[in-house]
Amino acid sequence: MDEEPERAKRWEGGYERTWEVLKEDESGSLKATVEEILFQSKRKRVIESHGQVRLGMMRHLYVVIDCSRSMEDQDLKPNRLTSTLKLMEAFVEEYFDQNPISQVGIIMTKNKRAEKLTDLAGNPKKHITALQKAVDSVCVGEPSLYNSLSLAVQTLKHMPGHTSREILIILSSLTTCDPANIYELIKTLKSLKVRVSVIGLSAEVRVCTVLTRETGGSYHVILDESHFKELLMLHVKPPPSSSASECSLIRMGFPQHTIASLSDQDAKPSFSMSHLDGGGGSGPGLSLGGYFCPQCHAKYTELPVECKVCGLTLVSAPHLARSFHHLFPLDAFTEIPEEEHHGDRFCQACQGELKDKSVFMCPSCHSVFCVECDLFIHDSLHCCPCCIHNQSGP
Amino acid sequence: MKLNIEGLLVYFPYDYIYPEQYSYMLELKRTLDAKGHGVLEMPSGTGKTISLLSLIVAYQRAFPLEVTKLIYCSRTVPEIEKVVEELRKLMEFYSKETGETNNFLALALSSRKNLCIHPEILHANIVVYSYHYLLDPKIADLVSKELAKKSVVVFDEAHNIDNVCIDSMSVNITRRTLDRCQNNVDTLQNTIQKIKETDAAKLREEYRRLVDGLKEASVARETDIYLSNPVLPDEILQEAVPGTIRTAEHFVGFLRRFLEYLKSRLRVQHVVQESTPQFLKDIFDKVCIDRKPLRFCAERLQSLLRTLEIADIADFSAVTLISNFATLVSTYSQGFTIIIEPFEDRTPTIANPVLHFSCMDPSIAIKPVFQRFQSVVITSGTLSPLDIYPRILDFRPVTMASFTMTLARTCLCPLIVGRGNDQVALSSKFETREDFAVIRNYGNLLLEMSAVVPDGIVAFFTSYVYMENIVASWYEQGILENIQRNKLIFIETQDAAETSMALEKYQEACENGRGAILLSVARGKVSEGIDFVHHFGRAVIMFGVPYVYTQSRILKARLEYLRDQFQIRENDFLTFDAMRHAAQCVGRAIRGKTDYGLMIFADKRYARADKRGKLPRWIQEHITDGSLNLTVDETVQLSKHFLRQMAQPFRQEDQLGLSLLTLEQLQSEEMLKKITQIAHQT
Repeated sequence: MDEEPERAKRWEGGYERTWEVLKEDESGSLKATVEEILFQSKRKRVIESHGQVRLGMMRHLYVVIDCSRSMEDQDLKPNRLTSTLKLMEAFVEEYFDQNPISQVGIIMTKNKRAEKLTDLAGNPKKHITALQKAVDSVCVGEPSLYNSLSLAVQTLKHMPGHTSREILIILSSLTTCDPANIYELIKTLKSLKVRVSVIGLSAEVRVCTVLTRETGGSYHVILDESHFKELLMLHVKPPPSSSASECSLIRMGFPQHTIASLSDQDAKPSFSMSHLDGGGGSGPGLSLGGYFCPQCHAKYTELPVECKVCGLTLVSAPHLARSFHHLFPLDAFTEIPEEEHHGDRFCQACQGELKDKSVFMCPSCHSVFCVECDLFIHDSLHCCPCCIHNQSGP
Repeated sequence: MKLNIEGLLVYFPYDYIYPEQYSYMLELKRTLDAKGHGVLEMPSGTGKTISLLSLIVAYQRAFPLEVTKLIYCSRTVPEIEKVVEELRKLMEFYSKETGETNNFLALALSSRKNLCIHPEILHANIVVYSYHYLLDPKIADLVSKELAKKSVVVFDEAHNIDNVCIDSMSVNITRRTLDRCQNNVDTLQNTIQKIKETDAAKLREEYRRLVDGLKEASVARETDIYLSNPVLPDEILQEAVPGTIRTAEHFVGFLRRFLEYLKSRLRVQHVVQESTPQFLKDIFDKVCIDRKPLRFCAERLQSLLRTLEIADIADFSAVTLISNFATLVSTYSQGFTIIIEPFEDRTPTIANPVLHFSCMDPSIAIKPVFQRFQSVVITSGTLSPLDIYPRILDFRPVTMASFTMTLARTCLCPLIVGRGNDQVALSSKFETREDFAVIRNYGNLLLEMSAVVPDGIVAFFTSYVYMENIVASWYEQGILENIQRNKLIFIETQDAAETSMALEKYQEACENGRGAILLSVARGKVSEGIDFVHHFGRAVIMFGVPYVYTQSRILKARLEYLRDQFQIRENDFLTFDAMRHAAQCVGRAIRGKTDYGLMIFADKRYARADKRGKLPRWIQEHITDGSLNLTVDETVQLSKHFLRQMAQPFRQEDQLGLSLLTLEQLQSEEMLKKITQIAHQT
């Protein structure tokens, strides 16, 4: 593998047996290395995501973060908790970038209990500050899957049927301390169509396998920090919504940002409605400008948000546009073995030499790319740079 | 799919096949072709049973005159059920493919409640039953003696076959046995008295028959209808029952005398060990019982029980046991020893005299099987080293092969832990057994592992006593308490009900995410019969080398015999025996190719070549130099890495072409070449 992901510093790693990674099978490789399998699955992800599937655009996601004793383990640097929280910050940001009309809530579980760190809300800042504060929390006791799940479900079950209900658990511990039979709860989750996914930080735990299989989520275990990040980012993309979920037209408001003082000389600074429940946002609540709900004229400083007064979903047009690409994804590039490819020897995107076993060709403009750029285009750009270039050209 | 195994068309009821299954069938066919015996080792979970069944059934269909019957011996009822299940699948596949109705008859003997006595079963093509039906002379006589010579006999899970043979020929007599026997004899006497008054002719008829001798049995044996019974040696068949025990009363009197003699022998204060000739001489000197009538004892008792028309033979188990003992002791001058112990070693104050009549030569019980049937196949997941089985069972195999497990990913991880973090050598050897540092380090190993291994861990100790000592010590040091933060702890005890309860709760804890550790004992119930698939056993830790209790007199006698008769050194046999049990224990964790598990050998002696070399090949080839003599810390690091790797998604496509083949893939030149390397001939 040419790919050399960022790893921790050598001297920080555990007993790594680097010489064993180099082990070659003289016999003609009966044992495909796990890394190769991983590479294949990475590639598969791009291909798989291109069916015509209906995606849940409005997502309600609870992230459960394990804060049990095992989070103090230092196999992620500086320890699992800090590393997780840092990645979570990036995740929250990316999540709202890609799913602007969705909401996230964070639950922490430790000492056999589960507590909400933040409620379901559409404001990334609030979550990020909460995550930053949580770095100092102590990791004690065991987590409780049951308590965390039921806490999340209490809120999720009231969410409307056309939105997705998801729970993502980041589990470091190998045990869970449950007050009741978790298999009953799994049944409830299934009937409520709550999708539970798990990212394990240490190893495969049976109950998580069953939990994710039953509820239709995914279960992954990290290999190292970069893999962790990759797995976390998988959850940024909206999951296919189940065909059974309701379809309904949603009323949405598109408020303009207005500054009251421009139109009315006597305007006084006012509070945003989202400050009502106290916890919202940082900084002083008083301001002149803001978004005013077109229905009831309640004022909000940030979008997207659900109006506290009349319950209207308030978004801005660019938000909706950004989640648009999920509906019309870029077609998968065709994979061509290196020796069959006779054209350009350089990747059209990064201009690097094509060295891998196979190259990837855009089906519409026939430009070739390397595997890294292929992933980048599909995961981040969502459009083929060469196609765009041709369109805008003369 | 339909396979072509060296010209034989084999119906295989699955769409995919493991390369080693193909290789296994090849070897099996060669064994059948040569009409010889075979020893085949293939790891569990690679579909041994279906390979055996499909090949032998195909062979039977292709050469109905060469092979008439398959006798499949397995160990436990669940295993028998599994075989029947596979067989059913195979038969369905046959009728689907060929379109004809199935004319194959298979018969499974599991327990009395499923018993069928319809005469048609004699013509069954396949018989599935427990070992004992063939090996235990008492039962074999009833069930198996009419099996045709052209049968193929398969012993599955046969790694302990020598012990089964020995157990089936050994007799233990306690005071209770003698008391019950006394009652039996009294009942016999009463019944005889009664019959004499009502139907004396019957007894006279029996007498006449006995004068004629056991002619019937002798004719039957010569014409080769019956499987010979090792309790009934050839010589007696030629002779008539001696006059001293011919009448019923005399025989009962004879039994009484014999019984009194045994009682007197049990009244010893010190341990006595003697050979069978010594015993016979002593019995002649003391109560004037000759060798000859003793030899007829078992046969004579059977005849009497038949004549008296006693329905419930189970009531007479004590007297049957004694009469079998009488026959065996007077028949074999070699291969047996008699040990009388006044008390158990562990409780020297409580008098509990036992007479062990112990068989030391497993080949005696199995000899008739090898002689009678044209092919006998011994197979198991752990049969290493292969060459020792033919030696102790005294037969000459035509094929001996060990198969590896082809894997798309390395799903087993054997690690040998030799040192604690403080560099104290870990070992269960006698000198360091009580060593505080060793026990602490063992505890530390379990504690650390309990934090990194998900769901279930099974830990094996070398004996109950050792386990009790260690666990008590861990409790005092507070290690148990720390472990319990990570996982629940369950302990196997000698009480079967308690153990199955513990096992049930253990599985529940693994299932719902709490995680559990099962502390058990090598050679115990858990180590032999119970599989820990997937999450029920993500790691097996073997604390120490499970040597058998070497101070036992029976074992010492057996070792001596092995050295004198088979030139097997004591140490070689002990190591072999310990390693096969260790392999059995750790093999519990891997029950298939999608399964994965850690195998941790916590004793520095495992790193030595003489120990390591006796592990099955499929385990051995994954022990690299880097996994020898590890410290606890290193073990934890390697385990963490391994468990993360194994938790990555693994689909069937990843296996296809490597460790799982379609018919086309199987037929490719390259694959056929690879397959030939799988079987390792010895």
